[in-house]
Amino acid sequence: MAVEFLERYSQGQSLCHRWPARAKIVLTLLVIATGTLLPLEYWPASGCLAGLALVGLSVADIPLGYIGRRLALFLPLVLMTALAAPLSRGFMGAWDTAAVIVLRSTVAFLAALWLVSTTPLETLLAGLCRLGMPRVFVSLLIFTLRYLYVLFDELARMKTAQRARTFQRQSTWRSWLGTTQLVGMLLIRALNRAERIHAAMMSRGWRGRMELLDD
Amino acid sequence: MHIADGILSNEVCLGAGLLAAGAVGLSLRKLNDTVSLRTVPLTGMMAALIFAAQMVKFPLLVVPAYGHLLGGVLAAIVVGPWAGCVAMALVLFLQMALFADGGWMAYGANVLNMGVVGSLGGHAVYSLIRRHWSGPRGVIAGAAIASWLSVVAGSALFCLEFALSHRHAEFNISSLCAVMTTFHSLVGVGEALITGSLISYLLTMRPDLVDLPGRSAGVVAGISRLLWTGTIAALVIAAFLAPFAADGADALEATAEKFEFASLEKERPAPLPDYEVPLPGVSYETGVWHKVSVSLAGILGTSAVLGITLLMRRFTRSKLDSREFEATHGG
Repeated sequence: MAVEFLERYSQGQSLCHRWPARAKIVLTLLVIATGTLLPLEYWPASGCLAGLALVGLSVADIPLGYIGRRLALFLPLVLMTALAAPLSRGFMGAWDTAAVIVLRSTVAFLAALWLVSTTPLETLLAGLCRLGMPRVFVSLLIFTLRYLYVLFDELARMKTAQRARTFQRQSTWRSWLGTTQLVGMLLIRALNRAERIHAAMMSRGWRGRMELLDD
Repeated sequence: MHIADGILSNEVCLGAGLLAAGAVGLSLRKLNDTVSLRTVPLTGMMAALIFAAQMVKFPLLVVPAYGHLLGGVLAAIVVGPWAGCVAMALVLFLQMALFADGGWMAYGANVLNMGVVGSLGGHAVYSLIRRHWSGPRGVIAGAAIASWLSVVAGSALFCLEFALSHRHAEFNISSLCAVMTTFHSLVGVGEALITGSLISYLLTMRPDLVDLPGRSAGVVAGISRLLWTGTIAALVIAAFLAPFAADGADALEATAEKFEFASLEKERPAPLPDYEVPLPGVSYETGVWHKVSVSLAGILGTSAVLGITLLMRRFTRSKLDSREFEATHGG
């Protein structure tokens, strides 16, 4: 259940999914860097970059509805930030700053969305590792990702148990306390689990370095 | 809270990235000095936990809305500032690489505003408060105040980065700062509530997870006096220093502009006549109203944190007798 939610489209089989991760990372970073450097006068070029990202997304079989939903969640936040500039002058100018921000952010967001929804995280990490990301950080990320799924399942079980024992609508204070207990107990369980995992890793010869099996 | 790409300029992203990389690198080094072999399981598990906990919606008590944990201060209190800082960097990376939440170029700025300020800065505030206020209430108050401050400080830092990114644009940085900090002082109240109640829950269930150096009981008796003097001092500081802090951002911006003048001239193909205006903040109206609003935000925030502390105090008192606590945790 958690897997579907976390990596919804990255496990596909399209052309974009089969590209090597390093090429995709470099391409995406190039598009983002170009998009954030373009001034407002070159808006057709920004539009072309956004179009390129959209073509990439459609080749990768990402449903338009999903892209729309993500944009609907993303754009209001960016608009709020962008509008802060005109707002600070009482809406008397600084509109070009706002326009630049919205344009650049949308291009960069579409490019990043293409990258993360065509590349499974393990492949992405292996690619980043080959591009020079520190190994410690990569091994930490792999560990986190591994136990993220475990903790999500644990959280889902605890929520089910809580719902099964709560028969009536609760007051805000009650449900606040309940949520606090839920998260607090998850925290305690997670730290206990970390202790057990540490012991297990030590007994299997853990020397502080993770070996990566990249392609 | 996550900054998307395109909001900050590339130079600012680079600078923030270098600062964040330095802080995270230092944290990893410190961790390797202290708990070398435990680093990976401890930090990784904490990051996974914060990620999962951010998905849980809390019904906010004050307003009919939902909030969620940000977690920097919580992580710093439970596993220490260094591990907390690394855990926050991991969480932010995963959110970026899994959901495209927060930009790739702005990753360093995000780590700086939320991870570094939240864990290292938050822990500094927390331990400062703990030094003067022992016992469980000091822990809870320290956690709540540090969370509130970390959110407001993160937003102030974002304002600074935003101002540095758009130095040539014509907007009024002081009032931008006022709007952002006012908004985030409300967000911070939610964070303070959540972190405070989580810490108070941990204190009742597993007090060993929150490290509690013992203090003599005489200090505990003076808590209420300290509480009131401390609150008044905080209110005064918030009310009178906050407007100057907003002006300070202006001053910093002007200084930074002077500093970067020479180095950026070569790199930037953009037209340069903007440089003829030496102090962009001063030429616009720096009216009284936004100073007043910053003051108000400061006062409101401080009162809210005080309210939370009193509330938590009541909550803890019903769960945990102070004397019993002192008996088990040395005094």
